[in-house]
Parts: sequence; structure tokens; C-alpha cells
Amino acid sequence: MVTGLKKGEITKDYITKLNFPPFLKKIFLLLAVIGPGLITANIDNDAGGIATYSLTGAQTGYRLLWVLIPITVALIMVQEMSARMGISSGKGLADLIRERFGLKITFYTIIFLVVADLGNTMAEFAGIASAGEIFGISKYVSVPICSVFVWLLILKGNYKTVERVFLIGCALYISYVISGFIIGPSFTDIASAIFTPDFKEIQRSDFPIIVGLIGTSITPWMQFYIQSAVVEKGLTPKDLTHSKIDVILGCSTMVTVTIFIVICCAATLFNSGIIINNAKDAAMALAPLAGKYASTLFAFGLFNASIFAAALLPLATSYYVCEGMGWESGVDKTFREAPNFFSIFTGIIAISAFLILIPGINLFNILIWSQIINGILIPIVLLYIIKLCNDPDVMGEYTNTPIYNLVSYLIVFLMVAANIIFIYFEIKKF
Amino acid sequence: MSVFDAFTDITLNFSDLIGTPIINEEKNKVGSLTDFFVNYEDIFPEVLALQFKKNNQVFYVRWEHILSFSRKKIIIRNESPVGRSRTFPKICQKKTVTNLMASQFSGQAVEYPPLGKVILDRQIVDTHGKKVVRVNDIQFIRVGQNIRVTHAEIGMRSLLRRLGFEKLVDFFVKIINPNAKYLTGNLLISWKYVHAIPDKTVHSNVRLNLKNDELNNLHPADLADILEDLDPHSRDLIFKELDPEMAAETLIEVEPEIQPMLLKFESPERVADIIENMGTDEAADILDDLSHDIRERIFENIEDDEIQENIQELLEYDEDTAGGLMSTEFLTVKPEHTKSNVMQIIQDELDDMETLYELYIIDDSEKLIGTCPLNKLLLQKEDLKVGDLMITNDIKCLTPETHWKEVANYMSKYNLFYVPVVEKDNTLLGVVFIDDVLPWLLD
Repeated sequence: MVTGLKKGEITKDYITKLNFPPFLKKIFLLLAVIGPGLITANIDNDAGGIATYSLTGAQTGYRLLWVLIPITVALIMVQEMSARMGISSGKGLADLIRERFGLKITFYTIIFLVVADLGNTMAEFAGIASAGEIFGISKYVSVPICSVFVWLLILKGNYKTVERVFLIGCALYISYVISGFIIGPSFTDIASAIFTPDFKEIQRSDFPIIVGLIGTSITPWMQFYIQSAVVEKGLTPKDLTHSKIDVILGCSTMVTVTIFIVICCAATLFNSGIIINNAKDAAMALAPLAGKYASTLFAFGLFNASIFAAALLPLATSYYVCEGMGWESGVDKTFREAPNFFSIFTGIIAISAFLILIPGINLFNILIWSQIINGILIPIVLLYIIKLCNDPDVMGEYTNTPIYNLVSYLIVFLMVAANIIFIYFEIKKF
Repeated sequence: MSVFDAFTDITLNFSDLIGTPIINEEKNKVGSLTDFFVNYEDIFPEVLALQFKKNNQVFYVRWEHILSFSRKKIIIRNESPVGRSRTFPKICQKKTVTNLMASQFSGQAVEYPPLGKVILDRQIVDTHGKKVVRVNDIQFIRVGQNIRVTHAEIGMRSLLRRLGFEKLVDFFVKIINPNAKYLTGNLLISWKYVHAIPDKTVHSNVRLNLKNDELNNLHPADLADILEDLDPHSRDLIFKELDPEMAAETLIEVEPEIQPMLLKFESPERVADIIENMGTDEAADILDDLSHDIRERIFENIEDDEIQENIQELLEYDEDTAGGLMSTEFLTVKPEHTKSNVMQIIQDELDDMETLYELYIIDDSEKLIGTCPLNKLLLQKEDLKVGDLMITNDIKCLTPETHWKEVANYMSKYNLFYVPVVEKDNTLLGVVFIDDVLPWLLD
């Protein structure tokens, strides 16, 4: 399935075999369970994510920082629900949606999700193209080469290695944190922006950003991914606590990086009144740290995020589509055995890469709009998840508590409200 | 007057039938058909009752109250008794009369869930195609005054039918290619081969086909494939039902990552049973992946000391060397044994040996002194001593530390299917068979 453990990988059983003192063993066990939460949270900082957060800082300064707090709470809750669902049912999300809600709902939902994923993959290639352009490489060179590379990576690559390299690459984001401290912004200003939001200051132009922020932090496809990853690891209800720690840890690191991206962009770009139109502009946010190397540092981070997400995303999409529609899947199968599986991720990569290559396309716009589409679709997926988490046939004894439900539905309500207001303003533009 | 006067087709589809209005003789609507209750004890289950919904409440009516059945509407008798339950209470057939009448409830009186809930959109095991598939639709056949479930349907056609696009797609396909296979191909799995996967909703004792034991007739390699395709919960439930021999053979074929997961929730006694049913080299491989404590507990439960010793010996070798690949089940004889002695020994010990190609002749200190292919022995007309037949010079053998790549090269160079493994002083330790090396070559 999704992550495909290989022989000799670090599994929980392997660790319990080793002769370490119990305390150390507990830490290692935790590390073995951790993974899904950490990865999915860091995928948030992909091309679309970096673009959206940079734009937030550049366009609104610290004004919208407070939005990140409810978003992070929502993210933690949603990921926890998906992980809990995977652990107690032992099944993937698409599987459960098909079993509980039937074929029609599954089919139409999947269509929308695939379109969103296509947009997201386009965003990843846009990220690759932008990173390339910072180095002076034309998108007509970088994109085709990278799309073939990604395709081969999926077919031949050892998944675990891909994830590990990706995570290591994510360490590059520390550059934003360091940059943030170098700038030395007023932390009281930041704190008050986060904890005492000024609602009167919300403008019409903020809503695309808000919906984009929601969409880039809580992407629909990630929910399928984390549940499959948890099932793949063979976690049992005993691991529920560890899994929750995994989720909270992952989301905390993600939101820290996010806040610093916003701070950097706010302090450097907003204050200078620079409007971001492309990645080069966004790269300037790292100037305090890296000076003239700001662009290079930024480009590396962007490239790392984009290329691995470009591999994980189409693959995850193929998996959940085949799971929901009842088609054969698995990278170890031949094309003849699993034609739909291979066609889907090949198609997504090919189409996204092709669309990106259209001359004159505004890469940055794609980055932002793909996240907005996510933001519109995510409440629907959330409703499914909440409904499933309340079904004892699925969860056994681990259904949601009433308070949890209340908060969850509240979150969905807020998201839908944000979407509606956003769409209303967009329509009014015409 | 037949129930099917208004209905001429022989086959019916679940997806077509759902939603049909149920009315009584006075044309009052009673509800809409939502599901069927069937007798799971038949090979091709007969429909016992219809489940229907009215005002969002769920009811059922037994088949005998139906006057007319068709795609457009179903007419039932006035005042038909209607049950209010999401499950169908199956009244147990065995009623023995005793003084207390308590045995009316003997045997398992079971609540049957409806057919669609148990099968539709869920994964099942197709024991004919030997894989796990997801059911898109269910097919019935009209038999006399009743209908019976005959097939589970998978594939594109049923998918499109459920979505309501069947006619549309048929239309276009006919235009493009009237002879397309798509138009006539229905992927139907006979109900005989449909095996429900138990989980929280499908109680493990509701088997779709109580007379069907196809699952136990599968080749272990096929069953292993099926288990790999299932989610962990269902996998465990099915594995628990297997007898130790089948469990052992299946366990060997399953991916190494899944092996420990299957044994995780079994008792040490059962694991020991399973271990005893497999070759010592395979047992060693599996036990190697478990933690020390669990391994100890399993060893305590293994009754046969010899097996236990052999496994422990094998565990000392690394799994990618000849020592890790070899099996300890091989036939040894002394040079003075005659052909008839050997035949007797074979008859006595055959149970413990999976494959027998060659005899290994050892001296009193267990050192290998000669080999003799079995066919050579069998072809002898006289009752010769093995010592006269055996080959003693240039015996091809390997030491246990040999890396598997060298083992493979060696066996390829000398065209060997099997090669003995000996210590430096020629003590015979085991035999490596070519099929043990294959998985390493394929990785």
C-alpha cells in the first residue's frame, strides 16, 4: 500500500527485540510510531504552503496571524481523528467512505478530490519551476526532467528512503526561524496579533488568504494519506497515545515554521511595501539571514518541498482512488495487473507538468489558487470523517466524545462560513 | 397465480431493485425496498424477507406475504404482519420437545443482517479468483415462486450501473465498437466462491455460505496473497480460523513484514503448534523476527525437543548465509545400510521430510563421507549396501558462513538443486534447497 515497509526497516517488533534499558526503549518505540503525523504536517510546508504563508506575511503583515491558531487546533483534531480511525478500524478512509456511504457518494467525492489533487500537483511543479527560475533554469528544462524523475521515483524508489530524505530536507525550514530572530521583530506585537485579533480590521481582500490558509494547512488528500500510513504501520489501540503525541508534535513543528515564515515576510516585505508576484520576491524574506544567498536558500527549501510532494501526492491519490473504486493497486504490481492505478498517477504527473509548461502562465497564482480549492473541499471531507468517527461499527469503543463533536462541527461551520464569504466577494467582483 | 406474473426476466440486480415501491392490495404505499434478508445457510441463498423503509423507519415483511413482484412495484397482502427490526431473527430449525421447552432456544438463534449491508460495497474474498475484491452489485435468479442470490458482481459494468450511467455508456460503446467485449462481459463471481470478511459489523459466525469451505481448499500461497490484501483486523480473524497445518503453510508464504503481525495476538501454545508444523529452517526465520521473551515462551510450549534444538541451532546463523538458508530435515544413513534398510528408514521418517532427493551417508561421528542420489538407489535391482553405491570424491558442499550470493553462484555453476552444508571438519549440518535461495535472488 502507501508506504510499503521493506525488510529490515525499523518496526516496533524490531525495537522490542533490542537489548536497551527500558527508558531508552520507550523513546525508540515512540520514534517508531512517529512518522505519519510528522510527515503529513511537514507536507503542509510544500510549494503551495510556502507561497500562501509568504503572501500572508507580505500582504497583511501580522494581522492574520491569529487565524493560524484555530487552524492548528483544527489540524490536530482532524489528524487525530484520521489516525484514530485508522487504528481502530484497520481500514483506509476511502475504504470506509465506500462501505458506509456507498458508491455514488464515493464516486463524486473522488472526482472533486482528484481535481483538487491535480491542482496541488500543478502547484508542486510550479514550485519546482519557480525554484529553477531562481537559479536561472528555464521551466521548460526543469519541469520535464523533474516530472520524469518523480515518475521513476514512484516506480522504483524505496518509499521509506524518500520520506526520510524529505524530512531531512525539511530541516532547511529552520532558516526561517533563524531569519526571524535575526530580524528581531517586536515579539509583543506578534503576541498581541496572535492572541488578541482585531476583527474590525478584516478586509475583503483577506478572504482568499484565509481560505487559502485553511486549504494549505488541512489538505483533503493528507487525511487519506495519514490514515493509510497508520494502517500500514499496523498500529493497534495500544498505540493511540503515541499516535496522538505524533500528531501534536508534527503540527507544532509545522505551525512554528509557518509563523516564522509569516513573520519574516511581514518584517521584510510588508514593511517595505513589496508585493509578491513570484518566488524571487518571496525569497527576499530570508535576506536578513542569508543576505545575497537568500534566494538560493529559499530555492533549495522550495525545491525540496516541491519535488517530494510531487512524488507523494499523485501516489497517494492513486491509492485512495483505487481503494474507493475497488481497483487493484500497488507499485509492486505490473501495469496489466493494476492498470487504473498506474494510469492515475502517471496521468496526474503528466497533465500537471504539461499545464505548467503553458507559456505565460502565472506560477504564483496557481500556487495560491490550488490551496483555495483545497479550502473549499475540506469541509466536505471533514464531515465524512466526523460522521465515521461517531459510528461504533467503525470505531468500536473509540468514538468521539460529545464535546469533541461539538468542537469539530464548530470548526466545519467556521470553514464553511469563510468559504461562503469568500465566494460571495469573488462573485461580487463580477 | 404466480408472484411473477408481472415480471418476465430471469435475472435481477440488487441495484435495479432497490427503491421499488411496496404497496398493499388497496394501492396504499407501505414503503420502499431497501434490502433483502436471505437464508445464508443455502449455497444459493433464498430470499426470506424484504427490508423496506417508510418515513425513515426500517421494517421487514416476509416473502410469503408477497402477491406480486416486479420492477415497477411489489404488492403485498393487506394486513401483512410487518417486523420492526434492522436484523432478521432466524428461528432455529431444530426444535426438540422436552419437559421444560427450554430447548426451543437451543442451538444458536441468530440475528441475520441484511444482504446489502453485509456484501454491497464491501470487500470479499473470491476463492475462485483467489483474491480480495470489492462488490459493486449482487445478482439474483428467479426460481419458482422465489428468488435466490447467485452472484456477486465486480467490474466496470456493475460500477456504471450503480452510478446510473450504464445505459449512457452502453449507447456510446455500441456506436464506437458494437463488438466490444465490454458489452457482453459481466464480471460475476458465483456465490459459492464468495467468502465474507468478518469485521465489527459482520459477525464472525455469520458465514455467507455455511456449507462452503473453499477458504481451506486454497493453496497456501494464494491464501497468503489474500491475507496480504486485507486489513489487519480481518486478516487476524481469518488466520485464527485456520488449522495449525494450514496456518503454518500460509504463514511461510506471507510477506515477512506481516508475519509477526499475524502471530501477535495468538497464544504461545497456538504459535508453538504452528511452528511444529513447519520446516525448522522456516520456523527459525519466523522466530528470528520475534522478541526474545516471546520466543522463549514459544519454545516452552514446543513439545518436541528435537525440533526445538534444531531451531535453536539454526537461529545462531545469520539469515543471509548458508546456515540461515539450510534445512535440518535431511536423510542420513550409514555406509553399511542396504537398499532395503534405507527404504524402511524412509518409510519411518517420511513425515518429517518435505523433499527427498539425495541420501547423505555419514560415519559414526556425523561426518559426511558420501552422497547418493535417490534415483540411483531405486534403480538398483540387488539389495546393495549404500557404501558401495555412494559417491565419495569431490562432494560439492558449503560451509554455513557462506553468503547467499556465493551459494547461488555455486549452485548455478555446478547445476545443483540442493547442496549439503558442512562444518570445516565435515560434520553435516543441513541442506540448502534451490527454492530457499530463489526469494533472495528475486529481491
